[in-house]
Order: sequence, then structure tokens, then C-alpha cells
Amino acid sequence: MPERKDVAVHWRLSRHARRLLTLAAAGLLLAMLTRRAELVGLAAPALLLLAAARPVRPARIGVRSRVTATRLYEDEPAAVDVTLEAGDLDGQLDVRWTLHAGRGIDPQSATSANGDAARFTFTVPRWGRRETGTVEAVLHDRWRLAEGRLSLPLPAIACYPNPATQRTRVVLSRLPNRLGEHSARVPGEGVEFTGVREYVPGDRQRQINWPASTRRGRLQVNTFAAERSQDVVLLVDATSDVGEPGSSALDFGLRGAAGAAHAYLDARDRVGVITYQWGGARWLAPSLGRRQVYRIIDSMLDVDSGWSRGTVFSRLPRAALPPGALVVVFSPLLDQRFVEALRDMRERGFILLVVDVLNTEPPRRLRFTDVMARRIWRMEQQAIRFSLRELGVPVVHWDGVTPLDLPLAPYMRRPLVVRR
Amino acid sequence: MRGGLAATATRTVAAGPRVAALLLGAACVAWTATPLRHIGWANLTLAAAIVSVAAGALRLALSEVPQPEDEYFLSAPVRAWLWFLSALRLPPWEEIAVVALVWLEVLHPARPLHTAALGAGLAGYLLTVHIAESGAPAGRLLRGQAKVLAVGACLLALGAGAAMLPAAGPGAGSSLLRVLAAAAVTVAAALVLPA
Repeated sequence: MPERKDVAVHWRLSRHARRLLTLAAAGLLLAMLTRRAELVGLAAPALLLLAAARPVRPARIGVRSRVTATRLYEDEPAAVDVTLEAGDLDGQLDVRWTLHAGRGIDPQSATSANGDAARFTFTVPRWGRRETGTVEAVLHDRWRLAEGRLSLPLPAIACYPNPATQRTRVVLSRLPNRLGEHSARVPGEGVEFTGVREYVPGDRQRQINWPASTRRGRLQVNTFAAERSQDVVLLVDATSDVGEPGSSALDFGLRGAAGAAHAYLDARDRVGVITYQWGGARWLAPSLGRRQVYRIIDSMLDVDSGWSRGTVFSRLPRAALPPGALVVVFSPLLDQRFVEALRDMRERGFILLVVDVLNTEPPRRLRFTDVMARRIWRMEQQAIRFSLRELGVPVVHWDGVTPLDLPLAPYMRRPLVVRR
Repeated sequence: MRGGLAATATRTVAAGPRVAALLLGAACVAWTATPLRHIGWANLTLAAAIVSVAAGALRLALSEVPQPEDEYFLSAPVRAWLWFLSALRLPPWEEIAVVALVWLEVLHPARPLHTAALGAGLAGYLLTVHIAESGAPAGRLLRGQAKVLAVGACLLALGAGAAMLPAAGPGAGSSLLRVLAAAAVTVAAALVLPA
């Protein structure tokens, strides 16, 4: 049920009433000045139309309003419903609603509508926290001589980045001793068959492999791989937002991180996030469950792109960056200090996987110096990626359009070997 | 196909009152201006009336063109267009036209029947502008105000009749009394009018 509010109405003469008043006043005044009686007749219809009106001007009026969703993904349609509850005055007031959409809100229907109730649909093309705007209503009495205006602010909405598609997952070779869904290299109580061994007292009878026992003449039992979960930390570099809005490096980074959060949480992994941004790093400790997706995205919505003050990840608490966690980095690798921080993390033994989201280049120009600068910039970028690969940090490029499974495919077929 | 037809029909329905307002305004200007007078800034008043009626009609025609807010880095033609729109929408063109037309009528020698017809024309013009502007259904609006409009027409005729009666005496007071009487009848009619 939409929330009901009593909203103050500001009344004044309508444009129609002001015009009639002008005609009546001009006719009467000139009749008196020129002493011509026919000018009084000229003013009479306007005067009568003004006098016939009976004022219906409530100081406050009830309005119900509702936004269908306060959390939505990019380009997901939502709507604002507004209804006037005039009580005793039902049917005596004509209403015209107008939606004044906030910045970043894209109306999908007409922004004005007549009637006691109205619905305005809209989408939000880019992630972020947005003010939906205000709905303004213009009320007219039966004679349309009085005009009342009311304004109703709408609640703010959070637009989440569209999560990238990721169906498969990168799994570490060494997993913590915690029950999960990934097959580990150690024997356990999972469902993936790993081999056959001789029966020892205490083994379950149902695990006996009868064909193998018949062949060898001694009881043999099946062995299975243990199933473990892993800690995944998504590291989003928000220091450089290069590219066109909607397809910038930060847009791709957040979409990729949201998709990865969905994928790993679906596999019962513990997922956390660190956003490297202007003013330091924000972090959310790894945790399980569906709610963690929204916590992660809410945390990422507060990113503030700009020149970072050079956060050192060694200062982050152990809870934010647990040892042995898989760190998936989404970055355009443009901030040298961020790259240094990655090297530092690798040297401290963290397992990193960098998803390069840089999809833009300096503009192409004809001047020799510009061409040279562009080539040098490219070589620098290649050198940064090469140096990370040399340290054992895989760097894959993602175009922001295809599923994340494609660039990560080489690391998904087999466990990512942990080298310390 | 059906949607396109519906949109065309909606545009035609919306254009009707706007064209009617323009024609009524032009008719009022032509009615008041003839015969042409060249005293008491009559030419200037006539020009003001013509400009006001034309600008009012243009404002109605462009009333559905949106005016974007808070835009940055606009090109010169777009800025000029926005300035033109705001200049068109801000002044009360119809009020200026009404005052100019009444003043133009005053500049002519007394012609009661002519003035009464102008009164009917101006009331019609203002109602048509209101219908075009508000989008209110014309039939329902006029039916609701039929009694008032009928009484107004009677008073218009009464005013013209009173002006055509010969003065009771040669003194200046007799014409003033006639004006006061007409005003009193109008006010009395307004007071007894049913809601």
C-alpha cells in the first residue's frame, strides 16, 4: 500500500482568471474614464465568470506515492505511482501531474498526466545512488479560476551495476579446511571419485568397490575428494574512471566484480570486497549468503573516483584480506601506486588474478609528438602487464561485453596453483 | 498503424482550439481596427495587439515543446532557441492583447453595437485560449458555464442598449449615471448568479 502524506497546497489565481480580471478591470476603468456605458457591458461577461466561481481551496491534501523499486539494476524499468486523495472534494478538482526527474534518471513514459492517479515509468542508465526527483501536481477547481500547486519529493534509489555473466569459477589448488562445493586435492567425503584403496576397519560398507575386490581378492573401497570452499576477495580499482560514461573502466570494473560476487557466492564461497579509491580503501570482510551480494554492491556504490592517496594493503586488517584467499582484481592498471600495491601483495604471498578493464586509448592525432606519446603510453602499459605476469600474476583482458568466463577460461579448467 | 492514427487524431483535436484562438484573436483585431484611426497612439496600440495575438498563438502552438533544465555546453543555436522559448512563454500576451484592443476601441467614436460584438469576441477569445491551454474538454467546460455566459450576453446587450438610449439631460453627469447604472446591473447579476 503506498504511503499517504498530507501535502501543503499553494493556491493562486489561474492564468485564465488573471486574463478575465484584466478584461473586466480594463472595461470598467475605461468606462468610468470615458463615461461610455457599452464598455461596462464589455466587462460584464468576464466579471460574471469571475463572480460565479465558488472557492474550493483546501490548504492540505492527501497524496499517496510509491516507487516500485528503490534498488534496481542499470536499465531495469521502475515506476512511480501517485494518487490524489481529496476526500470530500473528490471529482471537484482537476489534477495534472508532472514528473521532474532527477539527474541520471531517464523517463520512459510521458512526464505529464491528467487524472487523480498517474504512473510514470523510468530507468537509470548508469549505476550509483540517484535522487528520483519530485512529482508536482497542479490542481484546478471546477471553474478553473484557482490554481493550486503541490510538490512531492520522491525517495532516493540505488542503481546497481549490471552484473557480468560468469558461470564458471577459478578455484585455488590449496583450499582452506572448510566445507564447500569445490573438489579439493585431499581425500574426503565428497562426491568426486579419486581412486581405490584397500579396506581398513572402520570404512563404510557402502564404499566397498566389489568389482575391484573380486579382481584383487581383497576388499577394496572407493575414495573421494574432499569438498571445500575458498575465500575470494574482489579488489576494485576506482582510481581511474577512463572512457565514456556507461562503458568506462570503472563501469566495467564494478560490473565484473558484481558478476564475480554472484558466481562465487552461488558456489558457497566466502566473498569480500576492497575498493581502492580516493581517500583510501573501503573494505567488506568475506562472508557467505545471498545478502552478501547486496552488501558488496552497496559498498561498491560509494566509490569516489579520483587520485588515490596511495593506500597500502598491508594496513588492511586480516579479516578484510584473509591469507590464502583468491584475490580477483578489476583494474585498468593506470595508477602506478595501485600496481605497486599489487606487487607488494604478490610478494607477501597472496594469489592474484588481474582482470584488465582498460578499453580505451589516448585519442589518435596526426602530430609526430602525439603519435610518439601514444606509442610510449602503449609500451608502458605493456610493460606494466609484463612485469605483473613475471611475478606470477595472471593478467587477462576483458572487453566488458562478453561473459567473464571467456577471458578467465584458461584458469578455470584446472585449479590455480598456489606458489608462494 | 492504429497507434499512428490515434496520435494523428490526438494532434488534430489539440490543434483545433489553438487555431480557433488564433482566428478569434485575429478577428477581434480586425474588428477593432476598422476604420483605421491615427490618434492617441492608435498605430502603436494596433501593432501591440497584432504582436500579442500572434505571440499568444505561437506560445500555444509550441506549448508542448520541452524546455530542458540545467544543461551545460549548449551550442549557440540551441541557446538562442531556448531563449526564444522562454521569451515566448514569460509575458502575458493575451492580457496585453485585451488591454490594447479595449484601448483601440476607446479611440473610436462611440459605437455601442460594435463594442458589444467586440466584448463577445474577447470573451470567446479568452475562453478558447483557456481551452487550448488547459486541454480541458470544450463541451463540458462550456456546458458548465452556459448560464453565466447567457447572463453575460444579456448584460452585454443591455450595456449596448443603455449606451444607445438618448441622454436624459445635456449635463455631463447623465452619462456618468448611465455608466454607474450599467455597472450596478452587472454587479447585481454577479451577486444573484447561482453557483
